[in-house]
Amino acid sequence: MIGRIWAMAVNTAREAIRSKLLYTLLFFSLAMMLLGSVLSMLSYVERERMVQDFAFASIRLFSVAIAVFIGVGLIHKEVERRTVYTILSKPLSRAEFLIGKYTGLLLIIWLQVAIMASFFAGVSLLMGAPLGFTHLAALALIAVEVAVVVALATLFSSFTTPLLASFFSCGLWFAGHLTRDLRDHGANSSSALVREGTAWMHRILPDLESFNLSIEASHQLSVAASDIWFPALYGAGYVAIILASAAMIFERRDF
Amino acid sequence: MSASAEIVRVDDLVKDVRPGFGLRKKRVLDGISFRVREREIFGFIGPNGAGKTTTLKVLMGLIRATSGKASILGHDVSETTFRRQIGFLPEQPYFYDYLTGREILRFYAKLSGVSRGCRERRVTQLLELAGLSAEGNTRLRSYSKGMLQRIGIAQALVHDPQVVFLDEPMSGLDPVGRKEVRDIILRLRAEGKTVFMSTHILSDVEMLCDRVAIIVNGRIRYEGAIDEFLHAGEPEADLVFANLPAETATRLEERFEARLRGHGDHIELRIAEKDSSEALRVALDAGADVISATPHRVSLESIFLSTVNEADTEEDSR
Repeated sequence: MIGRIWAMAVNTAREAIRSKLLYTLLFFSLAMMLLGSVLSMLSYVERERMVQDFAFASIRLFSVAIAVFIGVGLIHKEVERRTVYTILSKPLSRAEFLIGKYTGLLLIIWLQVAIMASFFAGVSLLMGAPLGFTHLAALALIAVEVAVVVALATLFSSFTTPLLASFFSCGLWFAGHLTRDLRDHGANSSSALVREGTAWMHRILPDLESFNLSIEASHQLSVAASDIWFPALYGAGYVAIILASAAMIFERRDF
Repeated sequence: MSASAEIVRVDDLVKDVRPGFGLRKKRVLDGISFRVREREIFGFIGPNGAGKTTTLKVLMGLIRATSGKASILGHDVSETTFRRQIGFLPEQPYFYDYLTGREILRFYAKLSGVSRGCRERRVTQLLELAGLSAEGNTRLRSYSKGMLQRIGIAQALVHDPQVVFLDEPMSGLDPVGRKEVRDIILRLRAEGKTVFMSTHILSDVEMLCDRVAIIVNGRIRYEGAIDEFLHAGEPEADLVFANLPAETATRLEERFEARLRGHGDHIELRIAEKDSSEALRVALDAGADVISATPHRVSLESIFLSTVNEADTEEDSR
């Protein structure tokens, strides 16, 4: 099973690495980090923090963009081009196919995150901004967030068109960053319906803010081990649930 | 497994589809049943839209049947692991064109569970079989249609399956390409494989297949040995004469219920094969010259067309 999933993953990675969109978004991400450095020079205070805030935002935004815009075509393209016919006639289950595609894309996006992170470290060192364990943790949690977004894009790609899948994925990404605030505001409401509704939304939708340690990193605040492990486990669980749902939907599809 | 073992078994298979967003269902397969036996080349023939590809998709587990049963080598088609023993070439296959011929075969070999030790040897063998040894390191985007079809056959065979399913394997090939694919199919039979071939190129079916099933409008109209199919009626002969007197021709027509056709000064008689010697004697006695005397061969095409027409008439009268 592992061999078949790995074969699918390697092939997906080979295909993803040929995407022009990947390089375009990577270029813009690096350009935005440079822009942040230039803009920071105009500031008299907290230059280093500005550089790193820009860099974290850039890494998060562009790696999520890559995840969504390449991820939404992940399954759809295979069905459209009918490559799925020969692949699924082999002793490979549909779930293995899906997990292989997911893993392949995720590996490429993690490679992009690693490139962006290296650039971030270079820019930080150049600008004299501090680097520490919290920065590493913040970058690692961005990688977990990307894993959740790729899983969402894979889920939508397994049953709808790339356009709709990108709407759904982007929508969930925005919502995922708001659910925590929504729950906190809802908790102060006098309406039980609002309180319960916002609490359930927070439970069901991905809490993507739990993967955000960039403020702690750029302010050089220390973080507890649980601030890293808990979101990482939460992310892994969430990915498993989404991929299981995607596999169930994909299993029922006719090609 | 015995010589007549059933490799593919399809029982009362029904597939309904809902075209577009409409509520009305369309029945694409209407209770089809057939068997494919071990070591035979089975031709699945029918006009466009008859349900050939849908049947193949059900057998490959790409779509689910609405009702009925389909099994290959005794395994339900929804299972996955037995697919190690089957190979499939879809109609007009598309492959990752950024890979080379060698890379794509390696990829499919990995998916099929071919062990690392055998993989390279098998890939080289298959490139050779497909006549693509020289193009093994060329990217598929530079391949011609015929080459893609051959690499498609190679991927279907890369794991040395027991049963091979080919959907329109000759489609879009030139005569040389068709001959090459025919040779590969015959070689598979010689190696003891079972081949299921869906096609509408009847000359290939006549040349290759042991048994056929004809599907029209989602129903099986005939299933059986191709020889029985072609020689279902009483054998006939075609006799061609020159200088046959008109009164003798009329006599032959009446006595033997022959069918007459004139070709310039030649007259052709289609007659029951058992009466041909007597008819020849009568004609020779009347001073006619015999140009030719050949057994009449019914073409698969004519039988196929009459089957399709019968099915259409039946459909219209419903």
